[in-house]
Amino acid sequence: MKKVILIGVLVLGAIGAITAYLVYNKPHKNMEKAAADIALEAETLFTAYKTDEQAADAQYLDKVVQVSGTVKGVSQEGGKTSVTLDSGDQMSGVVCELDELTKHPRTDFQVGEQVTFKGMCTGFLLDVVLVRCVEVQ
Amino acid sequence: MKKGILLSLMSLFFVVSMSGQKYFTRDGKISFFSDTPLEKIEAHNSKATSVLDASNGNLEFAVLIKAFQFEKALMQEHFNENYMESSKFPKSSFKGKVTNIKDINLKKDGEYNATVKGQLTIHGVTKDVETTGKFVVAGGKISAKSAFNVAVADYNITIPAVVRDNIAKTVKIAVDIKFEELKQ
Repeated sequence: MKKVILIGVLVLGAIGAITAYLVYNKPHKNMEKAAADIALEAETLFTAYKTDEQAADAQYLDKVVQVSGTVKGVSQEGGKTSVTLDSGDQMSGVVCELDELTKHPRTDFQVGEQVTFKGMCTGFLLDVVLVRCVEVQ
Repeated sequence: MKKGILLSLMSLFFVVSMSGQKYFTRDGKISFFSDTPLEKIEAHNSKATSVLDASNGNLEFAVLIKAFQFEKALMQEHFNENYMESSKFPKSSFKGKVTNIKDINLKKDGEYNATVKGQLTIHGVTKDVETTGKFVVAGGKISAKSAFNVAVADYNITIPAVVRDNIAKTVKIAVDIKFEELKQ
């Protein structure tokens, strides 16, 4: 009888340890597979932020946002590629920083071309910033 | 007459040389490090914005909390939801001055030590801070680096008892910026 209890406790303990380990090491969201919560034009997203940042935060923060627009600029900084989409505003745009955990089919984007990205919306500084972006074909 | 032309030329030069006095970035790198015997945690953000006005030393930074990326998803989640409450406080910012800007010539290659003073806002709490940093000008390219410590408790960030030994009471913040000239 004592043996059964001991084995039971050990099994429970092992399950607990494995669960804790899995939770501790749970992976980041797979951005390639993540479904977009919202899809819209870069200009619409930017205008929403420029008009009412708080309302836009409430709507878009932490969401997988899919944006389409025209490439306005590309920057490569410290091995990271960021693509700025035209927002209709001269100073500001929608910046999409490509995900580090995804293997991208391409990281070269031409100014003027039409692209669609999905990524996590993190808010508004000079630009609306999306991180962990992947291109949507 | 000649004097008039000379004067207007001089003022034109003055305007031209003054116009290139602002520098900015939207790809600034800000990292933080929490180091305890139990666990080392670091997170990186490469989307910080910064504006430096070389004529008076005014310096500003802003960073989106949700753009910090951790190795472990769980830590990123705790950081955003429990500690930084990033849905309530999506940004951190710094507003201040390079106090010795007069000793720094951003038009000339070299290394310059800088003293920076101002207000740092994290988690909705604003505190006076002072730190040192370094500007490096090489081939006309300007970069700036600084590292300083922040006491978590100063910014009303509470760490639950369960993970008290896993998260440092003082975290190191490192700033690494490449400035571009702002063309107006």
